[in-house]
Amino acid sequence: MLEVDSYEHNVLARASLDHCVKCTICETQCPVMRVTPLFSGPKYVGPQAERYRHGESVDHSLDYCSSCGTCTLVCPQGVKIAELNSVARAAMKRDHMPLRDQIISRTTLLGTVMTPVAPIANAVLKFKPARIVAEKTVGIHRDAAMPTAQLTTFTSWFKRHTPSTTPTRGKIIFFHGCAGKYFEVDTAVKAVEVLEHIGYEVVVPKQGCCGMPLQSNGIFDAARKSVRTLAGQLQAGPAGVPIVSTAASCAGMIRHEAREIMGVTDDALIEAGSRTYDISEFLLGLADKGELPLDDLKRIDTEVCYHAPCQLKGQGMGTPAVQLLQLIPGVSVVESGATCCGIAGTYGLKKEKFDVGQAVGKPLFDKVKEVNPELAVCDTETCRWQIRNATGAQVVHPIAFIHEAYGLGKATEPKAGSV
Amino acid sequence: MARIVVIGAGFSGLAAALRLRQLNHEVTLVAKGVGGLQLSQGTVDILGYAPEWVQAPFKSFAAFIEANPDHPYATIGTQPVKRGLTWLSDLLPGLVVGDMEKNVCLPTPVGAMRPTALYQPSMASGVLTKGKSYAIVGFNQLKDFSPEFCAANLTRTPLPTGGSVTATAYRIDLEVAPGEADSSALRYARALDDRPEFRTRLADAVKTVIGPEDIVGLPACLGLDDPTIHIDLAQAIGRPVFEIPLLPPGVPGMRINEALMRALRKAGARLVLGSFITGFEASAGSIVSVTVQQAGHDRELPADIVVYAPGGFESGALTLDSAGKISERTFDLPLTGTNAADLVTGDYWHDQALFKVGVRTDSTMRALGPDGAPVYGNLYAVGSILSGATRWAEKSGEGIALGSAFAAVNAIGGGK
Repeated sequence: MLEVDSYEHNVLARASLDHCVKCTICETQCPVMRVTPLFSGPKYVGPQAERYRHGESVDHSLDYCSSCGTCTLVCPQGVKIAELNSVARAAMKRDHMPLRDQIISRTTLLGTVMTPVAPIANAVLKFKPARIVAEKTVGIHRDAAMPTAQLTTFTSWFKRHTPSTTPTRGKIIFFHGCAGKYFEVDTAVKAVEVLEHIGYEVVVPKQGCCGMPLQSNGIFDAARKSVRTLAGQLQAGPAGVPIVSTAASCAGMIRHEAREIMGVTDDALIEAGSRTYDISEFLLGLADKGELPLDDLKRIDTEVCYHAPCQLKGQGMGTPAVQLLQLIPGVSVVESGATCCGIAGTYGLKKEKFDVGQAVGKPLFDKVKEVNPELAVCDTETCRWQIRNATGAQVVHPIAFIHEAYGLGKATEPKAGSV
Repeated sequence: MARIVVIGAGFSGLAAALRLRQLNHEVTLVAKGVGGLQLSQGTVDILGYAPEWVQAPFKSFAAFIEANPDHPYATIGTQPVKRGLTWLSDLLPGLVVGDMEKNVCLPTPVGAMRPTALYQPSMASGVLTKGKSYAIVGFNQLKDFSPEFCAANLTRTPLPTGGSVTATAYRIDLEVAPGEADSSALRYARALDDRPEFRTRLADAVKTVIGPEDIVGLPACLGLDDPTIHIDLAQAIGRPVFEIPLLPPGVPGMRINEALMRALRKAGARLVLGSFITGFEASAGSIVSVTVQQAGHDRELPADIVVYAPGGFESGALTLDSAGKISERTFDLPLTGTNAADLVTGDYWHDQALFKVGVRTDSTMRALGPDGAPVYGNLYAVGSILSGATRWAEKSGEGIALGSAFAAVNAIGGGK
C-alpha cells in the first residue's frame, strides 16, 4: 500500500488546520489566486476543504495550486497550508497520473538522454514545429522555458579538475542536484571552485535525484524512493561534514519537504538534512563568524535584481544571498520583492498552466527589466530558466558573483561545459 | 553597532527594526508570518476612549495614566509616543496625515463613528463634519460592505463632538471580471492599480447614481500600490472622495505593511520570515542568542539585544491552556494580571480582564519579573505583549506599539 493512502504521515499537517483563524492573510499573498479564478485560494482549498476530504480529493481546483508554499510562509498561525494541498493533490491524481507529469518529473532521465546529443537536443527544443508537436501530444507549452543541455556533465568535469589550493579547512560535501549535473553545470563548477579557493576539500559522492519534481507532481512513491536513495548516497560521504548545495529547492527537499509532505522520517534523511546548507547560507555563516576571507573580494560595479525563490524562502533562512552579495564591494542588490516567478518547478511548463505562470511572474519580470535588463540573480535552476525565458536577461546563481569577486572568472561567462 | 534581533513583524516590530537600522545597528527581523498590520484599519490610534470620547489624546494622557496606573502609557510616557508618531509621519507622508494632538471621527463600515488621530490621505475627506451630507456608495459585487447599513447608522448617530451628518446609500454594479459576483476589496484595489479604464468605470458609475451630497464615501479598495487613486476619482466625480476601512484583511493596513517592509529591505535589515523562535540561550542575566526554527536544522542567532514584539493572544504569543494557565510562548516571561477573578465576562462590552494580561516593563521597556527587576538586561518587550491595556476598547493599539518601540530604541541608543 502506498504511504499516501494511509494519510497517517500527514497527521501533523492535518492537525495544524485547526490553527487557522480565517485571517485570510494567505489569500492576500497567494500569487496564483491573484491572477486566475481557476484556483479557489489557499484558505479554502487548504484548511477548509481538508477537513472534509477523508483521504479523497474531488476539488480539482487544487491542481492549480503551484505549491510555491507562500501561504505556509506567511501564515502567522503555523498552518501547513501548502503541505496539505500537496498531499491532497497526490491523492487526487493517484489513479490517473498524466504521462506528461511522469516524464517532466524525471530530471535525471532527461539529462542522461540529452547530454550526449546536447547540440541536437538544444536545437530541437528551440525548433518551433517540434515544440508545437510536444504541446499537442505531451502537454508541455510551446513557449515554456527549457533547460539547455551541456556537452559535459558536472561530474565528469569534477573528476578531471585539479583543485587550485591545498585544503586548509577540511572536507565538505557538495550536493549538485540533477540540474547542476546536467544543465547548470557552470553554477556547480563555480561553487566547487569557490569552496576550494577558500580552503575546503570538496567531496562529491555519487548522487541521484532528490525526487522534488516527482513530489510536486504528486508521484509520491517514486519520490520517496529517490530521496531515500539520495540520503544514503550523501551519507556515504565523509561523516558529519556539512553538505552544501547550489540547488536550493533540492536541498529543501532533503531538509524538510520529504518529511513534511511525504512523511519520510528515516534516520538517514533526517541526519543528512540536519547538515545540509544552501551555499549562500553557508558562506554567510562563515562571514558572520569572521571566517570568510573578505579582503580578497575584488570590486564588481553593478546593480542587479535578486529574486529569492519560494522554495528557498520556505526553509526559514531568510535571504542570505542578499547579504552575501553585498559583501562584494560595488555590488548593489535590489530585492525583487516579488512573490514567485511562476514556474514552480514544472507547473509553468504545462500547457494548461503556462499563462497562469506567466501572469504570476509578471511583477518579477517587470522588476528585472527595470533594475538591470541584462543580468539578474536567483538561486534555483528552474526559476532562472523562467526569468531568462521571460525577460531575455542572463540570470546567474549568486555564487557566480562570489566566484568573480575571488578572481576565478566572470559571473556572466560560463566556466565549463557550455555548448 | 549592536547585533539586534527583533522578533515580530507587526507595527511595533517593524517600527523598532527600521528605526534601529536607521541608527546603524545590525538588525535581523524574525517573524512567523505576515504581521498584524494588514488586519488593522490602516490608521494610527493613540487614545480614543478614556472611557469617554477623547478629543485631544495627549492632553488626556495625565488623567488617563492616573486612572490607569498599570497601563503601558504610564511606563512609556508621552515623549516616545510623540517621537514615534512624528517619525512615522515623516517616513510615510503619502500614507499618514493628521494632527496627533486632535482626534477625528471616521466612519466604520457598519456606520459607527470611530476616533483616531492619524489616518491615510484617502480617508481625509471622511472626517465626519457637522452638517455635511455624505453619499455612501457600495458595490453589488463587494459583499463585505453594506452602504445601507453604514449610511443609516451614520445618519441616526449624533457626532461625539455635537451635531450630526446625513448619509445616503447608493449601490453600483462594478464587476472586476465579467460575471464575477463576489470580489474582495483587494481584488478591486489591484484592478484599480493596474487598469486606468477601471478607474474611469468606477467614477462614471458613481457619478451617475449619486444625488447632491457634499462628499462621496467608498469601500477601502482604492489601490494598493497607488494610494493616490482617490484624487483621480474626486476629480472625475467632482466631489471629495474618501474610503472606509473594511473587514480584515484590509487594503489600507496592507499599504502601511508593505511600505514598512520595503523600507526595511532597502535599509538593509536581515529579514527571516516564516520562522518561529523556538528557544534561546542566556548567560549572566542577558540573552546571548535565540534559536530560529529552520528546515533541517535550527540556527542560533547571536544577539546583543533582543526586541520582543510578538503580539498578544491573537498571534499565539500568549496562550491560555485548558487548565486556565496563561503563558508567554518564547521566553516564558512573567505575566501580570493572570489572577483576576473573572478573566472573561459574559458581557461583551464589559471590561475584559483577559486582555490586560501581559508583560510588565520598566520605562526602557525591559521585561520585568515579579521582583520588579529586569528578567534579562537586554530583552525589550514592545507592542501588544505589554500588560494593562484593552487596546480595542481604548483605541490605543498603534500609539502603544509606536511609543513602546521608540522608548526601547531610545534606551538602546544609536550605533556607530
